[in-house]
Amino acid sequence: MPDKRKPEWLRVRYNAAETNEVASLMSKLGLNTVCTSASCPNLGTCYRHKTATFMILGSKCTRNCAFCDVPHAKAGELTAPDIDEPKKIAKAALELGLRHVVVTCVTRDDLPDGGASVFADVIREVRRTCPGVTVEVLISDFKGDFSALDTVMAEKPDVLNHNIETVPSLYNDVRPGAVYTRSLEVLSHAKEYGTSFTKTGIMLGLGENDEELDAVFSDLHRINCDILVISQYLQPSSKHYPLKRYVTPEEFENYKKKALAAGIKYVVSAPLVRSSYLAAEALEGVKST
Amino acid sequence: MKVEITMPSLRPEMKSGVLCTWCVKPGDEVKRGDVLFEVETEKVVSEIEAMHDMKIVSLEAEEGDNVPVGQVVAYAEADGE
Repeated sequence: MPDKRKPEWLRVRYNAAETNEVASLMSKLGLNTVCTSASCPNLGTCYRHKTATFMILGSKCTRNCAFCDVPHAKAGELTAPDIDEPKKIAKAALELGLRHVVVTCVTRDDLPDGGASVFADVIREVRRTCPGVTVEVLISDFKGDFSALDTVMAEKPDVLNHNIETVPSLYNDVRPGAVYTRSLEVLSHAKEYGTSFTKTGIMLGLGENDEELDAVFSDLHRINCDILVISQYLQPSSKHYPLKRYVTPEEFENYKKKALAAGIKYVVSAPLVRSSYLAAEALEGVKST
Repeated sequence: MKVEITMPSLRPEMKSGVLCTWCVKPGDEVKRGDVLFEVETEKVVSEIEAMHDMKIVSLEAEEGDNVPVGQVVAYAEADGE
């Protein structure tokens, strides 16, 4: 546990009865959510509002990012994708009455297409089962394989989300296995392909400085990224990357102004927001810009 | 009926949580959704809400206690059997 005292703005409400309703549905259908797998602080809020972010391709990740609470797959722990997962997600989306479905994944560098075809199947199945819904996919970098990315893009997700997570200087320590420029290329390629909106997220409190953030905002504008989510890094345990500092709500507001001034269309910036938190509202917001 | 209020599991790997603040005391009548106590976990402070309308009977944990998930932290009385 971080030894820094938690500031008063890092508070969330939790109601077990309301949380269990969504958790039970996910459990019944054998689905994973990033809400539970990554110990998201907003789980209680999202489940209360009957929303969740589905996490496909299993519960264990082939990468081992120092900030993330999703378990790393040890040798022999990876399983083939569940071929019924797209139908299960569509069923859950229907039961929950979702109007905006957000789907993310564990990174599966072991699969030939990184799981892109499963993303495509999920988008198709959700749209078939729940006409009128919008779909947001929060994808891995597919190791920079644009043909895999095109498999997802061909289904025309309403939002293509890929998190850059942090500034380039911290990638080796915070996000080994990923490459900053490659993540920018994923977002850039998705935009050039013709997706409606691209989106990314970055965490603060990892040791980045303002000049580095300014450069990231500039990079994101250059590649026409539409939505940026800026949030507080929360250290999941003492074994994870050490938290350097808590950023105040006022500072988050200033970073939002800077990102907007850099030219990014829509920016959500606050300690407890996450890249898939209130995603429907972010989509509505960017549409109105 | 007697109601057991327990330490919730706020994350899959959570084994215990630090009950940092009580927001009620014995004799208090609370409504569903009122905050009963606060739990500090690795990431945030969670405000634990009452699941029903009820009257608090006794507190079984003290502020600062590290309480295992599922262990009773308070007893209450609620309508119904």
